Amino acid sequence: MEITINKSDNVTTVRMIGRLDTTAAQEIAKDMAAVEAETAGTVVLDCSEMTYISSSGLRIFLTLRKEAAVRGGKVIVKSISNDIRQVFMMTGFLNLFQIED
Amino acid sequence: MLLDPHSQAILEEYRTDLPFFKEKSEELTRKVRDFLASAGIIVAAIESRVKTEASLSGKLDLKGNKYSSLADITDIIGMRVITFYIDDVDKVASALERLFDVDWENSVDKRKVHEIDSFGYLSLHYICRIPDSRYRFEVQMRTVLQHAWANMNHDTGYKSGVEVPREYLRNLNRLAGMLELVDEQFSQIRMDLTDYRRRVRALVASGNLDEVPLDGDTFKSFLALHPFDQLNRRIASVNQAEIHEQSFMPFLKVFKDLGCKTLGDISSIIRDCSEGAYQIACYQIGLTDLDIISSTIGPQDLCIAYILIQGGGKAGIKYLFDLLNGPAPSNESMAEMLVEQAGNLPFMNQ
Repeated sequence: MEITINKSDNVTTVRMIGRLDTTAAQEIAKDMAAVEAETAGTVVLDCSEMTYISSSGLRIFLTLRKEAAVRGGKVIVKSISNDIRQVFMMTGFLNLFQIED
Repeated sequence: MLLDPHSQAILEEYRTDLPFFKEKSEELTRKVRDFLASAGIIVAAIESRVKTEASLSGKLDLKGNKYSSLADITDIIGMRVITFYIDDVDKVASALERLFDVDWENSVDKRKVHEIDSFGYLSLHYICRIPDSRYRFEVQMRTVLQHAWANMNHDTGYKSGVEVPREYLRNLNRLAGMLELVDEQFSQIRMDLTDYRRRVRALVASGNLDEVPLDGDTFKSFLALHPFDQLNRRIASVNQAEIHEQSFMPFLKVFKDLGCKTLGDISSIIRDCSEGAYQIACYQIGLTDLDIISSTIGPQDLCIAYILIQGGGKAGIKYLFDLLNGPAPSNESMAEMLVEQAGNLPFMNQ
């Protein structure tokens, strides 16, 4: 998986490209820890080019959401594919995130 | 203002000790605020002030001879605790009795000074000793409504020296009587509500769920019974998944929209649709390696199963997703997929 992180003003955009499986989740752990520090503002997870999400990926999303709740920011999940949306629905996490097309 | 030498000496004392009063005013307010918070007494406001030099000079000019020293003046620091409910005035008073040494001789309960046919200023005034000091301070305790009345009365100007026409004073006093009634009603409503919650908890505990109307309070009592735990554990066991705890409150509106009038109605859905909900979850996650689920998966799949059993079809499921996740075009395609999947499951073919 490839990720790029851009910060402008109060918004941190994380573009995630490829499969967010267990291995990828471990690879991006360090970068995502830096993103957690930005959750006092808005974090946008751009998933337009994400092709798969595993439980480890869901855990990354949940951690960010928890941090944002503590720090008073928000996490927006943007442009998820129908397959990934189904994963969120099947696990009951769909209504937990602000999902935008 | 030209004061006599005795009053002038008292004023000098005030000037010297003003920093002490300012510091103590903040410290005492903080102490009261912290104590009330720890005792769970919610108040509308706590305010305090140190008497200004101008105000003290005015007081000394009027009755300076009454005081032998500054320590005789008990309202250099004045605090006011404003409560929402009339019963809480006495609770605040009890808190102050625990916190400070109360000078009973100079404290006054203005709520008790009225004759049976008079209405007006109602407030409880305590004079308390500032710990480790020769000075005292005053605390006024009253409700928001009593506070509003006192401010209006003050504005009418009993201190201004201008005589106010009798009809205005009469109107103001009529209002005092009415506010007394309103304060009592607020307390009554709070008591009734507490009673209602107690009765609901008892009904829920005894299992008489059909008698409990569904609302925010009763739903919370119901949740204390962990009604979705069994289903969630069953779903989690499919993949030995971790259950991520989430609030069930968004489902209150969903159950209401599904026609549930009582907790018994939700209980019936759990009884009749748990197998269907399990089959849906099993079909969806059984062939994946997803090992984390939200605790809301149980009620979500229960509602899906209920809608499908009732014949609500794609439109019903889309409506559910609109309610839970907010309206989105993808809700329709997800609803379509679910109806198709469920069509092959045993609970839809019995």
